[in-house]
Amino acid sequence: MTDTEVAPDTGPEPTPEDVLEPVEAQPRRNGLSARVQRSVAWRSVFRHPQMDTPRGRALQSFSNVFLHIYPVKVPKRVLRLRYSFRLGFIATVLLGILTMTGIGLMLFYTPAVGSAYGDMQHLRTSVGFGQLVRNVHRWSAHLMVLVVFLHLVRVFYAGAYKAPREFNWVLGMMLLMLTLGFSFTGYLLPWDQLAYWAVTVGTNLVHYIPVLGNTAQNVLIGGDQIGQSTLLRFYVLHVAILPLLTVLGLSVHIWRVRKDGFAVTRPSVGAFEEGGTEVTATATPGGGPPGAPAELYSQRTRVLGVVDRESVTAEERPVDDTVFTWPHLLVRHVVVGLGVAAVVLALGVAFAAPLRGLANPNLTPEPAKAPWYFAGLQELLSHFHPLVAGILVPTAAIIALVLLPYIDRNPDTRARKRKVAIITFSTLLAIAVVLTVIGTFFRGPGWEFIAPWTHWYVEM
Amino acid sequence: MKHTRRDLLRNGWKLGGALLGIAAGWTVFESLRPLGSGATSGKIKLDSPSSYAEGTATYVPEGRLWVANAGGTVFALSQKCPHLGCRVPFCESSGRFECACHGSIFDIGGEWIAGPSPHGMDQFKLSVEGSDLLVDTQEVIPGPARGAKAYLTPPKGPSCLEKG
Repeated sequence: MTDTEVAPDTGPEPTPEDVLEPVEAQPRRNGLSARVQRSVAWRSVFRHPQMDTPRGRALQSFSNVFLHIYPVKVPKRVLRLRYSFRLGFIATVLLGILTMTGIGLMLFYTPAVGSAYGDMQHLRTSVGFGQLVRNVHRWSAHLMVLVVFLHLVRVFYAGAYKAPREFNWVLGMMLLMLTLGFSFTGYLLPWDQLAYWAVTVGTNLVHYIPVLGNTAQNVLIGGDQIGQSTLLRFYVLHVAILPLLTVLGLSVHIWRVRKDGFAVTRPSVGAFEEGGTEVTATATPGGGPPGAPAELYSQRTRVLGVVDRESVTAEERPVDDTVFTWPHLLVRHVVVGLGVAAVVLALGVAFAAPLRGLANPNLTPEPAKAPWYFAGLQELLSHFHPLVAGILVPTAAIIALVLLPYIDRNPDTRARKRKVAIITFSTLLAIAVVLTVIGTFFRGPGWEFIAPWTHWYVEM
Repeated sequence: MKHTRRDLLRNGWKLGGALLGIAAGWTVFESLRPLGSGATSGKIKLDSPSSYAEGTATYVPEGRLWVANAGGTVFALSQKCPHLGCRVPFCESSGRFECACHGSIFDIGGEWIAGPSPHGMDQFKLSVEGSDLLVDTQEVIPGPARGAKAYLTPPKGPSCLEKG
């Protein structure tokens, strides 16, 4: 454990004696809760008492399986919101909200063509808070797609996919695909016109895969058109297969984040230095104080005290710029988590999830739009042959993104040293965003160009 | 090249694992592959060819198809747009098939005129049984490639896809 070895830097931080303070030395309280917490039963579950000492905080993380997903200490800059915008954490919170609301919805839903739509109406009219739970589920799902995507963008710009995090980027891409899979399979379940036609348009893209297209589409929808088999398949994917894969993938993803130290190394400064309390001496070759022997300062050093001329005590040790996860990071995560819950609840109260008429294979709505995250693809499809726009472009984009850390071997994470990567990515990102915005807001019946302020065809 | 017992065992595990993987994959694929047809039943009896007047398209809901008479030739055209599977309606005013989803337009014979569809409308096999037509929805004839103009006629009137 490193925290007992690192001498505290400043202020009222505990002395090494506090660090090694035995459990028994805590002041003894005699209230009811204190006595419960001292009981054999309590301590068999929570093996460590809560102590506001570094040792106590470390134990808090070590001895708790849920907290153990965090490292005991994290670099201080991880605490800054601007550092990661907490996007990965927000996505995880949304996944939790989706799991809870999803289980609630499962209690009132049968994946059958004859009853699915009725279940939706039943949920709306005769289940207490049924509509609200559905709204929150829907909004969390949309937000999750958005947040996971923003997470990808953030990680790209931070260069956080570079060694040793290459594989975690690949895992992240897999999780993005799973998120889209969740959203898309869930889209069909209400079995209304919106669901039916969005999924019809979406699954017909598969049709364009050379040679295997027909078979792949048939396996996906369980027949030659969307029907009972499709509904059941999408349901099983949505509530069983995708959740299992996501939990598996996410566990490894978070575990890797933790193993890789929660923060990207800055090659120019070093992992532990930024914002530290290192004393910088006047410029001498080697970095030491004037007149000091240069070999003493060939490593990164920290000046503990200047005692006399040419008598400098220095220690070769990285500056400790880490803080305890518990409580510093955890408290921030709790606040962000509550904020996310508040946002989806507010959205769910304010905006109802749409439910159009019962799915009707003989009546195509105008226009038939894919879900918004596929609208860019649909827009592309109206300009190019489906094999190009529907298969080649998205496949190439996914492969390029997955392989990105292996293609971009430049170890530098600073923006000015990665101009090619950043310009390329930003251009493609801008194109994707523009296509999505056009497809979502600027297209009307017959896929004609319309202005969203005159005709509104967006349904979330 | 010396082969040790270890090599044999290691390769045996690899081979066994691969076989197991193939078997599992095949089982899953076979169980998920739809056997037989889905919603549409095979053969549907239609009226006599003469009951479908030239230049008209009649919808047959049970087959999810249009029976269209293009200059004397009768076609059974799948309602499913080759683009992304929307239902293609027949526009009476222009006398053409016009998909409101994404703007594909086909002539009365199902040939591509405009829009994102990669080819013309798919057809079902038609045969004559006695005096009536018989359509087999299991037998799909892929639509004509773009550029086919055998049945192309000028539009009768305004398109149904006008903005509005």
